[in-house]
Amino acid sequence: MKKIKVRILSGSLLVLFGLLLMSFVQEKKPWDVPAKYQSMKNPQSVDDASMVKLGKMMYSKHCKSCHGNFGEGNGPKARSIDADLGDFTSAEFKAQKDGVIYYQSFVGRDEMPNFEKKITDEEERWAIVTYMHTLKKK
Amino acid sequence: MKKYLYTLVLALLSSAMLFAQEETETVEKVVDKPVRSPWESGTIVNHHTSVTQQKNTLEMVINHRFGVVENGISDVFGIMAPGANIRIGFNYSILDNLNVGFGTNSQKKYQDFQAKYTPFRQTRQNTMPVSVTLYGNAAIDAREETVFGTDYAFSDRMSYFSELIVDRKFTDWITLKASVNFTHYNAVDSLMDNDKIGVGFGGRVKFSPQSSLTFELGIPLQISSISQYSTFTKPPKAHMAIGYEVSTSTHAFQIFLTNGLGILNQELYMHNQAEMDLRSFRFGFNITRLWNF
Repeated sequence: MKKIKVRILSGSLLVLFGLLLMSFVQEKKPWDVPAKYQSMKNPQSVDDASMVKLGKMMYSKHCKSCHGNFGEGNGPKARSIDADLGDFTSAEFKAQKDGVIYYQSFVGRDEMPNFEKKITDEEERWAIVTYMHTLKKK
Repeated sequence: MKKYLYTLVLALLSSAMLFAQEETETVEKVVDKPVRSPWESGTIVNHHTSVTQQKNTLEMVINHRFGVVENGISDVFGIMAPGANIRIGFNYSILDNLNVGFGTNSQKKYQDFQAKYTPFRQTRQNTMPVSVTLYGNAAIDAREETVFGTDYAFSDRMSYFSELIVDRKFTDWITLKASVNFTHYNAVDSLMDNDKIGVGFGGRVKFSPQSSLTFELGIPLQISSISQYSTFTKPPKAHMAIGYEVSTSTHAFQIFLTNGLGILNQELYMHNQAEMDLRSFRFGFNITRLWNF
């Protein structure tokens, strides 16, 4: 009888541990970015002050409430979101191809909404990507 | 003969190449796009702007006007006063520059149908220096029949407002507008005119990527040549508003002080009797929510 109890307990612990692991795996689920986006090139440069300014305006309006003032994933809405919001100031984020950032930002998935209908101008979309490259930890 | 043939073929080829070059030039011609967000939403406070949301967008608008501030803290500057005016409306963009809408209003139980069309939009390269907008609505006063007197007809309930709006975004921070409008009520109190021409002015000073200060002024004109009477009885007073606006991806929040209780423009231009003194002002807010389809 004791053996059965131990087995049930250890089995339950194993299931719990598995669920815990799965939740971690879900958060870090890799992005499946289509080749079309992988090969996209950003026509703007971070030295283009007018595009950085435009990007800042657009970021403030569309992204800041979740991703935070400086892109650290700590906006006022971040607490109610399960998905990993990322840290735009990190080297890991900035090492990504611009086309990948574009896909993640405007096509989105799950809790990251699609912004293609809200931000229809290509220049404005790339300006946000360009601005994200200028974000630094505060 | 051969020489002539060669010359003819060469001439044809070169002309074909010229056409090809012209086509390439046409393709390369840069399209001057409309300026980015000259305003954050379709209204400053009460006045309409040139903004129509992009095609297939549904916009919900909630308008609220509290009581006047004159009683001070006793009714929290009108916020707890009775007689608030509330409107809820929906606008749908059929095209990028055309929307239609419906709203229902607690004041006089107005049910309004409206359309806004912006045939010319200011462009980034200034090929079009201003935006030109046409706005019009028709409203039904849905109160009980007795309000309209003894000779009641359904048409007595109708009022109309039409406006020509010209605005320009001068810099990223400043946008101004001027408008001329025409109001018509099928039925008004005796000695009042059925028609009224007015002018409107408004602006926005954006001081951060999301926040702006806004203001507007509406002046009903007293034009003797269109008046039905030799003197003006109860001429409507000018209305104004000063406010603060915050916009996000899908919302615009506007909080303001205004001396007009009305939300519909014809009500403000025809029936506003509030003076422009501090006691006659009231707080109000507008909230919009957008859905893209």
